[in-house]
Amino acid sequence: MRLLLVEDYRPLRESLAKGLRETGFAVDATGDGEEGLWYTMGNEYDVIILDLMLPGMDGLEILKRMRGEGRTACVLILTAKDTVQDRVAGLDLGADDYLVKPFAFEELLARVRALLRRGYQEKSPCIEIGDLRIDLAAQRVWRGPEEIQLTPREYALLEYLAMRAGQTVSRTDIWEHVYEFSSSASSNVVDVYIGYLRKKIERADKSVLIHTVRGRGYVLGAKS
Amino acid sequence: MIRSLRARLLAGIVGGMALLLTIFSLLLYALIAHALVGQFDASLVSIAQILATSVERDEDQIEMDLAVQQMPELQDSGQPTYYELRRLDGTVVAKSPLLETRDLPRLEDIGKTPVFTTLQNPDGKPLRVVGLTFVPRNADREGEQATAQPTNGESLALAVARDAADLQRQLRSLRWLLTVASGVVIGLSVLIGTVIVGRGLRPLRLIAAEIAAINVDDLTTRIGAEHAPGEAIPIKDRLNELLSRLEASFNRERQFNADVAHELRTPLAGIRSTIEVALTRTRDPVEYRDALSDCLEIAAGMQSVVNNLLMLARLDARQITFKTEEIRLAELVNSCWRPLADRAYERQIVFENDIGEMTCRLDREHLSMILTDLLDNAVEYANEGGHIWVAAQQTLHSTEITISNTGCQLAAEQVTHVFDVFWRGDSSRMGTGTHSGLGLALVQRLVRALGGGVTAELQQDGIFTVQLTFPIRQ
Repeated sequence: MRLLLVEDYRPLRESLAKGLRETGFAVDATGDGEEGLWYTMGNEYDVIILDLMLPGMDGLEILKRMRGEGRTACVLILTAKDTVQDRVAGLDLGADDYLVKPFAFEELLARVRALLRRGYQEKSPCIEIGDLRIDLAAQRVWRGPEEIQLTPREYALLEYLAMRAGQTVSRTDIWEHVYEFSSSASSNVVDVYIGYLRKKIERADKSVLIHTVRGRGYVLGAKS
Repeated sequence: MIRSLRARLLAGIVGGMALLLTIFSLLLYALIAHALVGQFDASLVSIAQILATSVERDEDQIEMDLAVQQMPELQDSGQPTYYELRRLDGTVVAKSPLLETRDLPRLEDIGKTPVFTTLQNPDGKPLRVVGLTFVPRNADREGEQATAQPTNGESLALAVARDAADLQRQLRSLRWLLTVASGVVIGLSVLIGTVIVGRGLRPLRLIAAEIAAINVDDLTTRIGAEHAPGEAIPIKDRLNELLSRLEASFNRERQFNADVAHELRTPLAGIRSTIEVALTRTRDPVEYRDALSDCLEIAAGMQSVVNNLLMLARLDARQITFKTEEIRLAELVNSCWRPLADRAYERQIVFENDIGEMTCRLDREHLSMILTDLLDNAVEYANEGGHIWVAAQQTLHSTEITISNTGCQLAAEQVTHVFDVFWRGDSSRMGTGTHSGLGLALVQRLVRALGGGVTAELQQDGIFTVQLTFPIRQ
């Protein structure tokens, strides 16, 4: 899942980006409002974490312009402004959630996960496809009774495919949602990681879960 | 001293009414009494004159016309009129038969003009007496006709008296009438006054109710004009002005608190998330060290915000004392620059101190804080490879110090805000954490506390100049 973090206070931005990346998110981070807007225009983000008081451009202005351009990414406002008016203004301009500083990192993670589920119309924190079970909150995966150990990147890839289970997901989509803007990965990397993932979840006697759609991408799901 | 406006107005109205009524009643009484007594006296005098003309002297004999003595006025026993004619030596010549054995009192100092007095009759009834002297005419022996010309001769004293009980009764009832009427009018005026004053003060009560309805949480309410009479409009206007000032100051306070909260919340969030993220897993010591040094840096930034806030609060409360001493300006500027030199060198900023031999008398510690803040600001804002210079000049009355830097990214209209608390230009400062936007606001308060002034100006080519002016006290 790919996130954009727009926060002008360097120590906060860096620690949040680090924590989110370690959790398995692809994170683009910037401290400048105009740059933040530019990022939203050029990329498909799953969740945007937005500070309000920013140099270059106010957070609410970014939100307004972004929504004006038809960008539907979930937006979580992260700010020191805590009056009811501020919250209402943010939510009315199209934000999906509001978190006041200072906050617990755990809570931010939980809210981001909730927004992701909402973005993919997934109400349950647990996804089951055949005998594959993914706990989105704990970030753990089981195939039947057996738990499968995945690296954060592999987990991120599986989670994205699972969120769009049954649909054909293109390599570009995967690349955009799982990899950071600043990473040097190309879409070839997607194939490599799909390979790793297959090895781990389709071991031995288990049936195929990740299907290749020739020329279009991949589908996660039990073959009907 | 009556404190209530209502009681004061009422007392004024009723008191004024009572005073006017009393004066009016006394005047009226005096006029009526004068007229009544005058009328009474006039009738006494006319009787006296008739009697006087009826008296004749014949040789030594003094006679009074019998017909006159039979006048109905002298016979009426209901309100009897008495007379007594004496010689000047006091011997009674003739008197009213109604007097029987009594005598009318002798009046002192009587002359030709009538003299009046009121006496108490022995039976307790008041008696109005007129006394006068006259010279009786001589009897005309030949034709029994009296000469018109009074002849010289002995004067006689005539006293005419009449029972004045009726007159006194009339006057008494007049007094009663006036007293009762005044009392009733005053009583009514208390009632009417209460109503009028109550009505008149109603707008004040309404305004008071409106004021009472205003609370601190909502100072946007203003007192309406619909109830206010002309006299209350200035009060209402002043109160509304006061409310506006209060509202503005509350808003400033609120904004300030929000800004303080923001200034402290963001670094707090930074510390918290740095620590929480560091604790999510077991890490290398290097990573922990990085996290700790990040936290230390944030804490230092917060400390500087708190220090600056305290300084602002103390300046506002005038709790800071100043010690004036002779300062060599160029040296002070150099010592303020020294801690910043490394940072400037890293960004290849050239510094120039153009102050020659110049001294001024100010508080060294606080002037040093001001200069450090301004130089720090200049280093922060100057472009890489830019230029910072300090100059000073002195006139008879003031010392002016200017600090300029190149590479200012502010727009001209933003320059007016640089001294606002928590305002910050949004160019290159992001994420430094040590700059809180308090700097220039603090500089301004400090300069003012030292008795000086500070202005900021943006020249062409992005040259930003701050000018300090301190008056020279002789």
